[in-house]
Amino acid sequence: MKKSITIALAAVMLTTACSSGTNANSGSDDGGGGNQTLTLASVDQGSIEDVIKAFEAANPGVKVNFTTSGADQYQAQIRTQLSSGTAPDVMTVWPGNGNPGATYVLSKPGYLLDLSDQPWAAKLPDSFKSVAQYEGKTYNALFGLNGIGAVYNDEALSKSGLNAPTTWTELLSFCRDAAGKGTPAYALGIQDNWVTQLVLYALAATVVFGQDKDFNTKLAAGQTTFAGSAWTQAMAKYQDMSKAGCFQKNPLGTSYEASQTLAATGRTLGIIQGNWIIGLLKGKNPNGKFTMTALPATDDPATFLMPAAAGAGYGVNAKAKNKELALKFITYVMSPEGMKLFNEKQGSLPTLPDAGTTVDPGLKQLTTFVQENKTVPFMDQLWPNAKVQQTMLSGLQEVFSNQATADDVLKDMDTEYKKGE
Amino acid sequence: MSADLQVRPPGRTVSPASPRRRSRVAPPWWFVLPALLLFAFVVLVPSARGIYYAFTDWDGLDPDFALIGLRNFTDMLDDGDALQAVWHTLVIAVAITVIQNGIGLLLALGVNSMIKTRNFLRVLLFAPAVITPIVTAYLWRNLLGPDGAVNSLLGMVGLGSWRQDWLGDPDLALWMVVLVVVWQFAGYSMVIFLAGLQSIPREIYEAAAIDGTGAVRRFWSIVRPLLAPAITINLMLSIIGGIKLFDQVYALTGGGPGHATDTISTLIYKDAFTLGEFGYSIALAVVLTVIVSIVSAGQFVVLNRNEKAAS
Repeated sequence: MKKSITIALAAVMLTTACSSGTNANSGSDDGGGGNQTLTLASVDQGSIEDVIKAFEAANPGVKVNFTTSGADQYQAQIRTQLSSGTAPDVMTVWPGNGNPGATYVLSKPGYLLDLSDQPWAAKLPDSFKSVAQYEGKTYNALFGLNGIGAVYNDEALSKSGLNAPTTWTELLSFCRDAAGKGTPAYALGIQDNWVTQLVLYALAATVVFGQDKDFNTKLAAGQTTFAGSAWTQAMAKYQDMSKAGCFQKNPLGTSYEASQTLAATGRTLGIIQGNWIIGLLKGKNPNGKFTMTALPATDDPATFLMPAAAGAGYGVNAKAKNKELALKFITYVMSPEGMKLFNEKQGSLPTLPDAGTTVDPGLKQLTTFVQENKTVPFMDQLWPNAKVQQTMLSGLQEVFSNQATADDVLKDMDTEYKKGE
Repeated sequence: MSADLQVRPPGRTVSPASPRRRSRVAPPWWFVLPALLLFAFVVLVPSARGIYYAFTDWDGLDPDFALIGLRNFTDMLDDGDALQAVWHTLVIAVAITVIQNGIGLLLALGVNSMIKTRNFLRVLLFAPAVITPIVTAYLWRNLLGPDGAVNSLLGMVGLGSWRQDWLGDPDLALWMVVLVVVWQFAGYSMVIFLAGLQSIPREIYEAAAIDGTGAVRRFWSIVRPLLAPAITINLMLSIIGGIKLFDQVYALTGGGPGHATDTISTLIYKDAFTLGEFGYSIALAVVLTVIVSIVSAGQFVVLNRNEKAAS
């Protein structure tokens, strides 16, 4: 038995030696001459393909080898590749912190190349800089941004004879009236737990950050907590909406997919979601028109803020085999041309002004809010670890099924927040 | 072939071509090496290395990690989610084992009888077991939705008041997971029981019938002891399957609402791949391995004893 273990170990070592040998070979292949290959891993299924095609067309002789996968799978894959030195040259990186593929998480151990000297880095608006940078250096080429608000099915709304609410008081009576007519105001599909956060973010943007723009800084400095701040009001308003009949019955048994069907077919008047939902709703109802507005959280529309945040961008591997080509690709993504292609395909807004992107007419209000700087990043992007958000997501499900109170959830979030990175 | 062999005179034959002689030679021990090496490379070595990480704070990425002794294991005792998940896992495993085998045995007894459609029924009842569990779970997720087929059916037959948010209600969701697994695998247990039933010779039933035994007595005194091997296999398979249940839970409820249906396996997945707490997640996996080993070893010893006593 002892002998066979020794042999097994020898076999393992031999295999490892072989595989590192192969790596070295393929590395030297890439370096040579005009035939240039860029490796890329992405989660932007459905849009990255077009960008690559355009990039290859603009750079003759360049070939992009790429893989795409879902976020969960991608995050597991990229971490393994980075730690074993087999990661691609360019890869999807999420803004800020709080998920396993985020900027802070990957740049802290030195896996990402510093992009601070790129011309676009200085032009990023401040709210995106904070999540594209780690310790003052830019690591993430953020090209698109998304917002959260109330999206209405225009046809269903006019059929109901109701008007989209513009204040908190109007919102509650709108919900009661809509429920009274048998068509609830908003579809809510919180069987998929990430959906639980959207309404809360839409409320917290105005309620928490409208009162105190520096809430995150104070939270990080330990001067305030979730449970001891306006977050309790945001939570209370979420529950008020539920009590007023704003959502269809049984939200916990309704999936994200099912909630889209409800809103697209007019069985609810709308849905509280990110702007990406408009494309999905149109997929289910090609003749439908959908308009996004800020979710009223107070009675003074001048105080409204919308959650708007950069979507996943691209980072460059610090050990990229072809750094020059990787930077060329990043430059293309951040050029008006690349940005237009990406964002129109994804239904998002460009992060740089004057990118010439055509935006869906239903997103006019979000565009205005972005231009007037009346937005707040998605709250989780500046939390120190992924557990805070996961605690909130399952906690909100527990609130909806009476297994926990809103205060319990906020206190648990404080506990996880204080554990730090 | 075997009849042919029996005719040969016993005793050693000199011919090396004789099949009997060849079968007596034990193969050299090192014949097992290639398979053992492969097994060691893909299973033993990674598992052993994996256990090492259970004693670290590795995040799956950073090459700088520290040995933290037993902290991951002691943390588990303070982690309400983990303790809840262990409880859910045990409830699910016991419920699936009892219900799936109960139904499987009844089905086997049914299709072992002389009813005309028995072949058709055997195929029909086994059919769900050939579908991928994840597909079954997504199917049921739609059927059990608030506007799904189950609620519509209840409404149609005048049982509207029985309609529920089957997967959204934390008191029901765990039982829906059990329902889906039992629906899929009761037919699987049935097939194993059926094989056992068919190996019981007709003559024993006939003799018992002549002695004037009733159906219950016949089941208890003849079928149960002779079916013991099939019972052992079925109980082992369903309890191990129940303890490590992942696909169905993940696709049906994702462990929710809240943590109401989280099992050890879904927690392992979430801690590793959503939270990046690889050390803690591997520690949970080690605990799961220990639980599975203890339960199956214990079960094997008890059932094996019963089997021997029965035969």
